Amino acid sequence: MTATENGSPISEALDVSMVYTDAETGNRLLVLDKVSIAVKTGEVLAILGPSGSGKSTLLRILIGLLQPTSGSVLVHGKPLVGIHPGVSLVFQNFALFPWLTVDDNIKLALNGLNLDAEQAKERVMRCVDVVGLEGFEKAYPKELSGGMKQRVGIARALARAPELLCMDEPCSALDVFTAESLRSEIYRMWSGGQSKLPFQPKSVVIITHHIEEAVFLADRIVVMGTRPGRIRTIIQNDVAHPREYQSPPFQRMVQRLHDVITKEQLPDVPEPTTPPAPETGMPTPAPIPAVNLGHIFGLMEILRDHGSEMDVFKLDMLTDYDFGHTIAVVKAGELLDFLDTPKNQVILTDTGRKFLDGDINVRKKMFHDQLLTLPTFRFVLRLLEEAHGHRLSKEIVEEELCVRLTTEDVEKVFTTIVGWGRFGEIFGYDAASEELYLDDAKTPEESGATAT
Amino acid sequence: MPFILTYNKKVRQALEAPANLSIDVLVILGLAGLLVAIASLLGHATAPRPQGVEIHLQFRYLPLYAFFSVSRAVIAYILSLIFTLLYGTITAHSRLAEKFMIPLLDILQSLPVLTFLPGLVILFVRLFPTSWLGLELACVIMIFTAQAWNMTFSYHTSVRAIPDALREAAAIQHLTVWQQFRFLELPASMIGLVWNSMMSMAGGWFVITVEEAFTLNNVDYRLPGLGSYMNQAQLDWNWPAMIAGVLAMITVIVVLDQLIWRPIVVWSERFKLEDVSSAEVSHSWFLQFLRRSRFLKWAGSLMRRRSDKAEIAAHVQIEPMTEQSLKKKQIQRGIVSWIVVIALIALAGWGAFTLARLLAQLPIHDTPDTNGWLAVLWALVLSFLRVFAAVTIGALWTLPAGVLIGLSPKWSNRLQPIVQIVAAFPAPMIYIMVIILLGKMHIAFTYGCVALMLLGTQWYILFNVIAGAMAIPSDLREAARIYHLSVWKRWTEVYIPAVFPYLVTGLITAAGGAWNATIVAELVSIPGRQDHIAFGLGYLIDIAVANGQFPLETACAVTMGLTVVIVNRIFWKRIYRLAESRYSLNV
Repeated sequence: MTATENGSPISEALDVSMVYTDAETGNRLLVLDKVSIAVKTGEVLAILGPSGSGKSTLLRILIGLLQPTSGSVLVHGKPLVGIHPGVSLVFQNFALFPWLTVDDNIKLALNGLNLDAEQAKERVMRCVDVVGLEGFEKAYPKELSGGMKQRVGIARALARAPELLCMDEPCSALDVFTAESLRSEIYRMWSGGQSKLPFQPKSVVIITHHIEEAVFLADRIVVMGTRPGRIRTIIQNDVAHPREYQSPPFQRMVQRLHDVITKEQLPDVPEPTTPPAPETGMPTPAPIPAVNLGHIFGLMEILRDHGSEMDVFKLDMLTDYDFGHTIAVVKAGELLDFLDTPKNQVILTDTGRKFLDGDINVRKKMFHDQLLTLPTFRFVLRLLEEAHGHRLSKEIVEEELCVRLTTEDVEKVFTTIVGWGRFGEIFGYDAASEELYLDDAKTPEESGATAT
Repeated sequence: MPFILTYNKKVRQALEAPANLSIDVLVILGLAGLLVAIASLLGHATAPRPQGVEIHLQFRYLPLYAFFSVSRAVIAYILSLIFTLLYGTITAHSRLAEKFMIPLLDILQSLPVLTFLPGLVILFVRLFPTSWLGLELACVIMIFTAQAWNMTFSYHTSVRAIPDALREAAAIQHLTVWQQFRFLELPASMIGLVWNSMMSMAGGWFVITVEEAFTLNNVDYRLPGLGSYMNQAQLDWNWPAMIAGVLAMITVIVVLDQLIWRPIVVWSERFKLEDVSSAEVSHSWFLQFLRRSRFLKWAGSLMRRRSDKAEIAAHVQIEPMTEQSLKKKQIQRGIVSWIVVIALIALAGWGAFTLARLLAQLPIHDTPDTNGWLAVLWALVLSFLRVFAAVTIGALWTLPAGVLIGLSPKWSNRLQPIVQIVAAFPAPMIYIMVIILLGKMHIAFTYGCVALMLLGTQWYILFNVIAGAMAIPSDLREAARIYHLSVWKRWTEVYIPAVFPYLVTGLITAAGGAWNATIVAELVSIPGRQDHIAFGLGYLIDIAVANGQFPLETACAVTMGLTVVIVNRIFWKRIYRLAESRYSLNV
C-alpha cells in the first residue's frame, strides 16, 4: 500500500474528548483528552498504547459507534453522521454470530450493498478463499479454533469492500503461534506488491498494545499515553519492505518505541534535594496500582534470581502477564521503595533485598513501615483515628477516596488498600459488616507515622 | 433440566426400522389430524352453551377432554409468546419505555394470578352469555397471565446480555430493527425462552384445571376438559374415573414433554452463546424421528429459500446517513417510545382511579351487606400464617429429602424427571380427595387447608434443592470426609450452605404458588354437602365475587397483591442477594 497525500483524510478526529459518567456513583472518568488524529488515504496506521489509554474508544469514535463528549469527527472533510459509510471492523473477540455458519456470517455483512444473489454468492466465495477457509463454509463458529474465527472476522470485514478497514487488537485473543501466523498473513494481504485481495481498502487502522506488531504492519505509529488517554507522539515507520523481525532497522524502531513508552510509563523522578516539610493537616492520597502483594514479591524474587537488575521488557517476557500489568507491578514495587526504575531498567533496592532476606515477621515489620510512608495509607489511618470507635464503613472510605482521586476506579483501589493494609497490619477489615477498623491493640508509638 | 425417559430396545428398534415413506405418511396424517382438530375446536367454541354443563365420566371422553385442555394451554402459550416478543423488543430498543415497563412487569409477576379469575369469568360470561366463547376466552386469558410474565423477563434479560461486540457488528452492517430481531435478539434469547416456556406451560396446568372446574354460588361455569373431568369424578366419588383422570393428566404432561419440549430443547442447543462445543449433547428420539421425514425436509428447505432472500437484503442499497435522516430516525423512535409510555401511564392512571374509587366504598367495619376493612386485614393475617406454614412445612421435609436425593447420582437420575412431572401436575385436581381424607382424620379445615396449599407448592422447593445438591462440588464433600466432620457438622457447614441459593429460589416460587392456592383452597364447594371454609383472603375473594361485592373483591385482591410485592422486595430480594454473594459456589 502506498501512501498518497492527495485529498482530505479518510477519517479525522479533531480535539475529541470522552468522559464516562458512572450511572451508580456519578464518578466522571476522563477517557480521552483533546485527541486529534487524521487517518490519511492510503496508509496503514497503528494506534499503540497500554490498556486504559482509550484507544478502543478512539477507534469507535472514528467509526461513529460512539459520540464524543466534545470535539468533532470528519469524513473526507465533512462532519460524520451516524456510522462511517465505508468502514469495517475486525473485533478482538471475533464477534461472530454463534448461530450462523461461516457463510451466513459473511453473507450477513453484505447487507445493504446493492448486490444481486449471484454477485453476493461470488463475493462470499472470494472472501472465504482469501482467508484460506475453503471447506469450512458450513461450519459453525463453535467448531472453529480462535485463529480460524478471526479469519472469518477478517473475511466478513473485507466482504463489505470498505475504504477504511479497522482492526481492534486482532491478534490479542490468540495464542502466540496463531497470532504470529495471522500477523504474517495480514501483512501479506496488503503490502508486498501483488495482493490477492479482491477489494483493497484504502486505509487501515490497527489498534494494538504489541510494539512489534505495530512496527511490522504500520506505516505510521501513534503512541498513546494513559489516564487520561492522549497522544504522546506520532512516529513515521520508515523500515523498508519486506519487513523482518531480526533486521537491524526493525530492531532500532522497536527500541525507539520502547524508549518512548518507558519514558511515559516509568518517568525518572530526580531525588528531592531538601527533605519534605512535615505534614500538617490531612495527607493527600495518591493513586495506588491495583496489584496484589503476591505478584510484587514474586517479581522481586525473579529479579533477585537474575542479578537484581534487568531490562523491563526482558522482565515482562519472563512473566505471563501482559505488559500493562507488569508495569503496574513494577510501579507498585517502586512506590514501596523495593524497586528502582532508572530508564529501561528495574533494579532491586537495598530495602528490597533486606525484605527478601527476612523471615515473615521481618517482612511484615518492613512492609508496615513502608506503608506508613505512603500518603494514601496515612490518609486512611487518619480517617480511622478520627472516627467513632475507630471503625469506618467501606462506603465512607470509598467516598472520601473518590473525591480526592478523581480518575481512579475506587472499588479496585479500596480492595488493594485493604489487601496491603491487612498484610502490613495497619488496619483490619471486617467483610461481614464491611467495615475498616483500627487494631486498638497496637499502641500509638508502634503505628505512629514517621516520615522518612 | 433434561427429562430422561428410558425406553426399551424394542421400541427403539421399531422406530428405526421403517422406511422413510411410512414416516412421511405418519407426519402428513399427524398434520392433517391437527388441522381437523383445530377446525372442530373453533366450531365448538362458538356453539351455544347449555345452562347446566354435563361432564361425562366414561373413559372414551378422556382423549377429547385432554385435547380441549391442551388446546387452551397452547393457544394461551402462543399469545404469551407474541406478547413476550413485542414487549421485549420495545424494552430492548427504548430506554424510556424500559424504565416503565420492567417495574410494571415485576409487579405483574408478583401478583397472584388467581385473584383475577372470578372477576374475569363473570365479566366474560356477561359479554357472551349464550355461547361457550365467553368462558373459553376467560380461560385462555387467565392462562396467559400465568404464563407470560416470566417468559418476558427471560427475553428481556437475554437481550440485555447480548455482548456489545455483536451489537457493534450489527450496527456496522446496518441491520434494521427486524434484522436485529431475527439475527441477534431472538437467537440470543432462544435458550432462556425455551426453558421458561416449559415452566410457563407447567404453571398453566394449575390455572386450567381450576378454571375448568370453576363453579360459584351454584352457578356452573365449568368447561369440558381434564379439570372438570376430575371435578365431576370426585363429586360422584367415582374411584376408577378419578384414577383415570390423574393418569390422563400425567400422560398429557409426559407426551408434551417428549413430543414437543425435548425436541425443541435439542434443536435450540445451537443457540448457546458459547465458544466451544460442550461435551454433553442431549437427545430426543422424536426429533430424530422427525428429521427422517422427507416431507418435512422439503417443507423446511422451501421456507429457508424464501426467508434467505427476504432477510439478508444484499440487493438493497443503503443510503448513507445525513443529518436529516438521523434526526428523523431519532424523532420517530422518540414518538413511539412516548406513545407507549403515555399509553401505559394512562392505563395505570385509569386503573388506579377505578381502584381507589372501589376501595373507598368499602366500610371499615362489617355491615350486613359486606365485610369491611377490619375483616380484610384479619383475613390477611390468617392467610399469611397459612402461606408461612405451608412454605415452612414444605421446606422442613423437602430440604433433607432434596439434599439426600441430590447427593446420590443414582437416585437423582431416577427421581428428578418424576419430581418434574409431579411439580407440573395441578394439585387442585385432587383437592376433594384430600379434603375427604382430612375429614376422616378429623382435622379442622382451617388448618387442613394448609395441606391443600402444600400439595401444589412443595415440589418447587424439592426440585430446586435437588438441583442444588447435585451441584455441590465433589471436593467440598471430600474435604468434609477427610476432616472427619460429624453428620451434623456436614449438614450445617457444607450441605445446607451449599444449596442455600437454590433453596431460596425454591422458597420464593413456593410462596408465590401458596398465595395463589389460597384462592382455591380456602373455599371448597362440594354440591350436596356443606362448603369447606377457611377464613382468609382467598375465601373473601371467592364470596365477594359470588355476591357481586366489587369493593370487597378489589380490596382483597389489592391487599394480597401489595403483601406479595412488599414481602418480595423487603424479604426475598435481600435473602436472595445474601444467597448470591455469601453462599454462591462461584468464588
